[in-house]
Amino acid sequence: MITTTVGNFPKVAEDAYTTKVIGAISRWQRKELTDSELERVFQEVTKAVIQEQETAGLDLLTDGQVRWEDLLNPIARKLEGFEINGLSRWFDNNIYYRRPILHKAPRWTGPILVRDYQFAAQCTSRPLKAILPGPYTFAKMSEDRYYKSEQKFTRAMAEILHQEAKALEHAGAPFIQFDEPALGFAKPNMALAVEAIGIVTQGLKAKTALYTYFGALNGNLGSLMRAKVDVIGLDLVSSPKTIMNLKHVPIKKTLALGCLDGRNTKLESVTELHALFNVIRKILPLEQIYVNPNTGLEFLPHEQALQKIQRLQEAVVSYGER
Amino acid sequence: MLLTTSVGSLPKPDYLTQARSQTRRGEMDPSRLRQLEQRATGEWIKAQEELGIDILVDGEQYRGDMVAYFAEHLGGFKQSGLVRSYGNRYYRKPILAGKITRPKPVTVDWWRFAQKQTRKPVKGMLTGPYTIMDWSFNEHFPSRRAASLAIARVIHEEAKDLERAGAQYIQIDEPAISTRPEEMDLAIEALGLVTRGLRAHTITHICYGDFKTIGPKLRRLPVDQIDLEFANRGFELLAFFKGKRFPKAIGLGVVDVHNHRVESTKEVVANLKKALKVFKPDQIYVDPDCGLKTRTPEEAKEKLRVVVEAAQAVRQELMN
Repeated sequence: MITTTVGNFPKVAEDAYTTKVIGAISRWQRKELTDSELERVFQEVTKAVIQEQETAGLDLLTDGQVRWEDLLNPIARKLEGFEINGLSRWFDNNIYYRRPILHKAPRWTGPILVRDYQFAAQCTSRPLKAILPGPYTFAKMSEDRYYKSEQKFTRAMAEILHQEAKALEHAGAPFIQFDEPALGFAKPNMALAVEAIGIVTQGLKAKTALYTYFGALNGNLGSLMRAKVDVIGLDLVSSPKTIMNLKHVPIKKTLALGCLDGRNTKLESVTELHALFNVIRKILPLEQIYVNPNTGLEFLPHEQALQKIQRLQEAVVSYGER
Repeated sequence: MLLTTSVGSLPKPDYLTQARSQTRRGEMDPSRLRQLEQRATGEWIKAQEELGIDILVDGEQYRGDMVAYFAEHLGGFKQSGLVRSYGNRYYRKPILAGKITRPKPVTVDWWRFAQKQTRKPVKGMLTGPYTIMDWSFNEHFPSRRAASLAIARVIHEEAKDLERAGAQYIQIDEPAISTRPEEMDLAIEALGLVTRGLRAHTITHICYGDFKTIGPKLRRLPVDQIDLEFANRGFELLAFFKGKRFPKAIGLGVVDVHNHRVESTKEVVANLKKALKVFKPDQIYVDPDCGLKTRTPEEAKEKLRVVVEAAQAVRQELMN
């Protein structure tokens, strides 16, 4: 089993690295801090977050998305065609994101995350994955005042995310993950989502993953297996039915299974996790899976976020030693 | 008919916001803060009376977050480390960590304080058990249901105490219902434990959400009045109620609380008249969409003024 996280990690840690991001961002907003001074704070926290993942023993790291306010903003504000609107609720969480509004044809004008990726990658000798929003979720969670067509908007976002993914691949990212939480809600247009991710990953040589989390996939697991990616991420915590549904679906991809609750402070026991691995083992060989918390860890205070990755690693290592 | 009220929170004056952060930093004595909270509460009671509002609120000048306030005063909760809620905003999210108890009444003293200053009724304001559960971490209860029902039992005690103190209106807010419509039945069950045996007029405020799913179940919410946001979606919700003979009173949000623009009396009158094609006059309570705490005190007063003027104008017409 390969251990990893879904992406984000607390930006502040009262009990460990620092809470200085909060003050730095407000001073930067008041123009009392320059861009490069703010960037130095982000870099310091990024290093600390990577260090914690390394020390915990994770196999595949992320930069903790320390600069990210939400999944869409960092991309939307660097593209042509978007304005950022007020706050909206982020799926079934009591957490908010700023809703992008598309008011003209969206355009990618150059690499957005490459510099951040390169900085993070040189902080560790372990592989570090790049993370992007998926095209379907991007379109679904934005307001479309230009195309007024979910299909056209989603396809346009797929083209843009393809360019960004190419740039990240060129910068050395061995693994690129696309987050599609919107697939767990309402009645998603699975055909469109699968088509769009195919546009994004076309011709990429890096390993690619489509991650779903929150919500429930229910009957959509089968169509997800047709997505042109190497890895499919599934949240086994938010909807306990998902693991049962897996028994009835031909598994054609490597799976990344969310086994710990990234939205609750309660820490899973090693015994509980071993019991879950036992169930998973009956469905597919464990050698072929990634394991991670079900969602990003920024829903948790730092103390508990760190405990989650430590516990994940502990459970995987001790499972191998049984 | 068309009684006017507000949803709960009112903005804090600058002197109180400053005092709260000074107290947090240890630069102000909590007893001094309490005096300022009382001053602000008194000012808001007076302001609501002057505006001519029928059912007053205490304005929640002494509360920060609607869930954290109860978590801080009930037993069984811990406070978490910092969690980000959006942008650069962080808060401490409550953790359900043990048996939920109520060492003493939470809101009754404040309710008494406010009611003493006016002859008009002041609403008792509580946060509902489902919302307290959903907006907390859970380390203690085996399920979301168990947690909700345990919280419901202590909120029921609080509601009983408010009623004993003389509250004629008790509002139990459940904004979290709209985020997980699949758990509406649980929210209904928990709210039922809270309102069981109460004689006061009970109200719940829920936010706009997936009305296709929760709409049909609204009539099963065990309260006398359901308060909803109508203004921020251009009154499109009226279509849902059309021809349904809704069996409860309806709190009709007629001004948008997330917008700086103050609506004109004329447009609110027009919208009230639309609502009167769907609801009976004595079924409607008129208020802003939601708590006004994010507006400035001046904006809040202007919005409330429009609520009152529009309701009075329509009442006049109905009586003539």
